Amino acid sequence: MSYLEFRAVTKRFPGVLALDGVSFAVPRGTCHALIGENGAGKSTLGKILAGVYTADAGEMRLDGKPIAPADPIAARALGIAMVHQELAFCPNLSVAENLCLGDLPLRPGGFVDRPVLRARARTMLASIHAEIDPEALIGTLSTGQEQLVQIAAAVGTGAQVIVMDEPSSSLSAGETRELFTLVRKLKARGLTLIYVSHRMSELFELCDHITVLRDGRHVATGAIAATTPARVVSQMIGRELRAQTPAHLSRSPGPERLRLEALSSPGKFSEISLAVRTGEIVGLAGLVGAGRSETLQAVFGLDPAATGRVLVNDRALAPRSIEAALAARLGLLPEDRKRQGLVLGLNCRENTALASLPVLSRLGWVRRGLERSLADRYQKRLRVKAPSLETIVGGLSGGNQQKIALAKWLARDCDILLIDEPTRGVDVGAKAEIYALLDELACEGKALLVVSSELPELLGLCTRILVLRAGRLAGEVPRADFSETALMRLMAGVDPAAPSHIQPKGVTSLQ
Amino acid sequence: MRPFIRNLFRFQESGLLWVILVLGVVLTAFAGTVRTPKFERAADGGRQRVFTTDAEGNRAPAFEVKNKFLNAQNLAQLAKDTSFIAIMAVGMAFVIISGGIDLSVGSIYALASVLGAMVLNHLGPEGTAMAPLAACALGVLVCLATGALCGLANGGLIVALGVHPFIITLGAMAILRGIAFVATKGQSIGGFPADLREFVRFELGNGLSVVPLLVMVVVTALGWIYLSRLAAGRRVYAIGGNEQAARFSGIRVGRVKLGVYILAGLAAGISAVLSLGYYGAATSGDGQGYELNVIAASVVGGCSLTGGRGSALGVVLGALIIQMIASGIVILGIDQNYSQIIIGAVVIAAVVLDNVNTWLAKRRLTRA
Repeated sequence: MSYLEFRAVTKRFPGVLALDGVSFAVPRGTCHALIGENGAGKSTLGKILAGVYTADAGEMRLDGKPIAPADPIAARALGIAMVHQELAFCPNLSVAENLCLGDLPLRPGGFVDRPVLRARARTMLASIHAEIDPEALIGTLSTGQEQLVQIAAAVGTGAQVIVMDEPSSSLSAGETRELFTLVRKLKARGLTLIYVSHRMSELFELCDHITVLRDGRHVATGAIAATTPARVVSQMIGRELRAQTPAHLSRSPGPERLRLEALSSPGKFSEISLAVRTGEIVGLAGLVGAGRSETLQAVFGLDPAATGRVLVNDRALAPRSIEAALAARLGLLPEDRKRQGLVLGLNCRENTALASLPVLSRLGWVRRGLERSLADRYQKRLRVKAPSLETIVGGLSGGNQQKIALAKWLARDCDILLIDEPTRGVDVGAKAEIYALLDELACEGKALLVVSSELPELLGLCTRILVLRAGRLAGEVPRADFSETALMRLMAGVDPAAPSHIQPKGVTSLQ
Repeated sequence: MRPFIRNLFRFQESGLLWVILVLGVVLTAFAGTVRTPKFERAADGGRQRVFTTDAEGNRAPAFEVKNKFLNAQNLAQLAKDTSFIAIMAVGMAFVIISGGIDLSVGSIYALASVLGAMVLNHLGPEGTAMAPLAACALGVLVCLATGALCGLANGGLIVALGVHPFIITLGAMAILRGIAFVATKGQSIGGFPADLREFVRFELGNGLSVVPLLVMVVVTALGWIYLSRLAAGRRVYAIGGNEQAARFSGIRVGRVKLGVYILAGLAAGISAVLSLGYYGAATSGDGQGYELNVIAASVVGGCSLTGGRGSALGVVLGALIIQMIASGIVILGIDQNYSQIIIGAVVIAAVVLDNVNTWLAKRRLTRA
């Protein structure tokens, strides 16, 4: 008998049908995987269950009774809790205070009863065997610890269903193992878990059943033992993925465009020296915190503490100056497009023109016709799906937003593109388009330096890959030696005796 | 023709125009009438009363019956009152769209008025030191420069120290008014060359002071062009919408911010010039509480306090709405003591309505 049931759940967002009549059932005491590409609707479904969003149509049943939580508090009352991937607590308060925030133990006169508060928090943390100091401020915890606190809060308040939204996305390998152990324990206690993720290996290790979503539609639900990762992938993307060799590899790279000489920034990265040639896509791999994004930002003149030199076409740029970087035709597609890449309240045309205003204006007047034709050209070239040029960017899907963020630099006609996470939060179709576009740009003679956390992405796209480890260049892998193992070794630094053909730091194949 | 009419009511500020129209109709309907003596222009240019002579040869003063709201004099008064606030609101629009706030505009207005007045007073009504016209020009220049410099100081501190504009301009609000008070020792300063007063109070027909109105129209037009047509204006929206993304796009955020505060100060300076001319005197207490009226006008006119949204035309219409309500309270004979309560409620209602409107638009988008 199914414990939790979704019946034709439908949810619309401006411009998108996020969920389209999704129906499936989850048995009690199981871990149910919810998988799909970005934009498939898996997080949306989790959030509807947890009361963050409300469904536009359809119904959910818990233990046979229809439920429709209007907000997270109502969901809590029904025994449904969600563990979010982003900050869910007040970082300025302690673990204990956060855990009891909704129900602070009080003494007469409204004073907080601290001993009771502490004891309650200890019990909650102990119930999931988490060793965290209840007095510690949330802001001082690691992401993994914070997630444990969230789980403790859920379990401690009697949750029977826990939705975990990409729980492992920012955890270290060790923390992920601990999380798995905990999930198994919770399952043994009879809790039902909805595990939202796109990491195939985790799901196959941890979950009992799997539901695949694609473009907001339900594709398949079944026992995980009865399927294979390859089948799930093809269900997710709806077609076979064909690995295509990028076209730029068949051309020999041109002269050197960008060179970093001992670029350093205290506490972020040090002594980064590398070169990118015309027509090359150079990957920059590394674990979270290795200093990849920081390096790109420093090249773009955004790091006020950076030292060392950045040379474009053999000419040194004025240090720490974004104007100099722009004048040398550099463009930076930042990691977080919503915070750094786009002005969400402005429309497609205005965002595309944002970096090109000096070129587009004469005596301070924006030349509207020119602006419109420029925006139109790149909207067509990047195949941005938007009702018009005047559509507000905030309402577009992740993939289309990313295309606009990229269009901004193409419109400026940059020669060197620094690209940070080209496809984060982008659906699978747009992903393929962005890869093809980057390849095309390299063929046109642009130099690209690409940072990505997704190794297959770099392996598929790049001419060669440089690896950063703890702020230093750990080595370079040429295309001939591309493999995830080789990269992981350099990234994690686990194997000091790296295979000889992987060149250690300091020896660049260009020299 | 249909699409044209539809577009006419579709543009951003059409909602405000509707509100003004409705307010006007309501005020006209409920204002009632008043009997006022009739005047005519005499041969020498002065005003003189009109008399009627009846059949028995008795001369009696003539009266006319007018709608209390919808009459030339009241509308002229309304236009003049609106223009002082509206000009400053255009400056405020720049700041609010950029994501900032300027609480010091009322004080800038006072300081600019007072310093301008001191210069005009020193040069004397008779123009002892220089030609009256030159004296006036100098006074006006001092007013404008004071406004711009105060704005520069605000912007400079905000950019250089990275402190929230609320704090800096709150401090500036007290400091600048304090300077105005110290400079004047709290006295009212008058005695200007007559030319300025004659110019600003130049009337067209029945008491309609066109100069403040014209200045308002010009300032609005310039503000509108700046914000919607110039690259500089686009940068203001970009910074208000997402400062970090603007910086990552190579926009010099500090420079743009400096600019908006200078413009807000300059707008306060322009208003100060008009008030000097209109009232012929200035004290350090002038413009007390103007910052709130100006911010209210901006918010009613569609500026979002989180930045990135608003327009020059919108805030001017917002100022007109607030002024209409203020004068409506007088006309309808509502107790003056209620005026602040009503205006406060209107500001909140306007923002709530705007939020509802945004929500509806979003829903329409979802349904589509």
